[in-house]
Amino acid sequence: MKLMTKLRILPAAVAVAIVLSACSSAPITTSELDGARGDFVAAQSNPAVAANAPVEFKAAADALDRANAAAAQKESLADIDKLAYLAKQKIAVAQEVTKQRQAEANVAQAGRQRDEVRLEARTAEADKARMAAERAKADADAARQQADAAAASARDEQAKAAALQQQLNDLQAKQTDRGLVITLNDVLFNVDKAELSAEGMRTAQKLADVLAQEPKSMVLIEGFTDSTGSSSHNLDLSQRRADAVRQALVGMGVPGNKISTKGYGAAYPVAGNTDAASRQLNRRVEIVLSQNGAPITNRR
Amino acid sequence: MNTVQHKVKMICGALALLGLAACASEKTPATADVAVSRAAVANATSAGAADLAPEEMKSAREKMMRANQALAAKDYKLAQDLAAQAQADAQLAQSKANSAKATAAADELQQSIRVLRDEVNRNSTPQQ
Repeated sequence: MKLMTKLRILPAAVAVAIVLSACSSAPITTSELDGARGDFVAAQSNPAVAANAPVEFKAAADALDRANAAAAQKESLADIDKLAYLAKQKIAVAQEVTKQRQAEANVAQAGRQRDEVRLEARTAEADKARMAAERAKADADAARQQADAAAASARDEQAKAAALQQQLNDLQAKQTDRGLVITLNDVLFNVDKAELSAEGMRTAQKLADVLAQEPKSMVLIEGFTDSTGSSSHNLDLSQRRADAVRQALVGMGVPGNKISTKGYGAAYPVAGNTDAASRQLNRRVEIVLSQNGAPITNRR
Repeated sequence: MNTVQHKVKMICGALALLGLAACASEKTPATADVAVSRAAVANATSAGAADLAPEEMKSAREKMMRANQALAAKDYKLAQDLAAQAQADAQLAQSKANSAKATAAADELQQSIRVLRDEVNRNSTPQQ
């Protein structure tokens, strides 16, 4: 029953369709088709699209062609819209694929960039380590040089002290509670005179050298005679002999304010005054050296 | 009169046969198109389009559903139209998802390079 009604209206419907399609003559478009055309132009003017998504772009172009053809052949607005919609979606696909490929290229390039930065970082670290090592080496070298210099200076000091000791030994210096005592005996003076002999001057020079090495030292020169002669003569001679030594030392550069003198005459003999030898021993000048500069106590 | 009516009936019948034949020949392509669109929607889903291109996926699924309904109702032209649209939407959804993932990866990489560069600059400042 239904089939029969369908068969009856079918020819009529066909006739109506033919009439309708013949009516419109102006070129038609729809807003959907205009939109699709606009999207296509945008995609076409972007060189990245043709470069990155040529296949998808071609499919979009074909879809737009079909929609344009439908419009040219004045097909139904609904049909044009359907084709325009498909074209629009395909153009959007081409755009998205372009974005994706660009991002992938970005990743590839960024991967290389990251490797470069990592290499930079490792090089910078290596440089830093090398510089630190160089600094450490320089510090170590400087420390060693300092230690060497200190050792050399210590050796120098030792040598100087040894030399000084040698000089003092040479002068037969004796350590007493008043200080170091150097005795100049009688032969260093001319007989009964207060002039230093040549050997006396040599001894004074040795003493001057010792004093030059120990500038803090204070010196007390004490003169003594034997018991022969008057006490006033002996006091005078002993004082003059002490002064002679002082003068010699000052002449050799020892500062005068460091040296004091005293004559004791026949007092404080060191030997018996009974024979020539012992008397000679008493005829002497004693030089007391206070090496640290402390004042020298007088004899009681 | 009888022969004319008979002839018209025959022409109508022929036309009907043609129509039926045309209709029948549309069923296979329509079914194929719907199957292709279903596959396209599945691909888009597995590319993560549900999160990354939700609007296009929603549109694709809706049109798939209506295409199936049209197929069941034997409206093959409608089924084909809807299937074609669903396929286009699904392809767009998938390509959007892929480009979103690629862009995110590129941004992350650029960020990590920036961080790395900052570290290098910090470490290479001369020490006093």
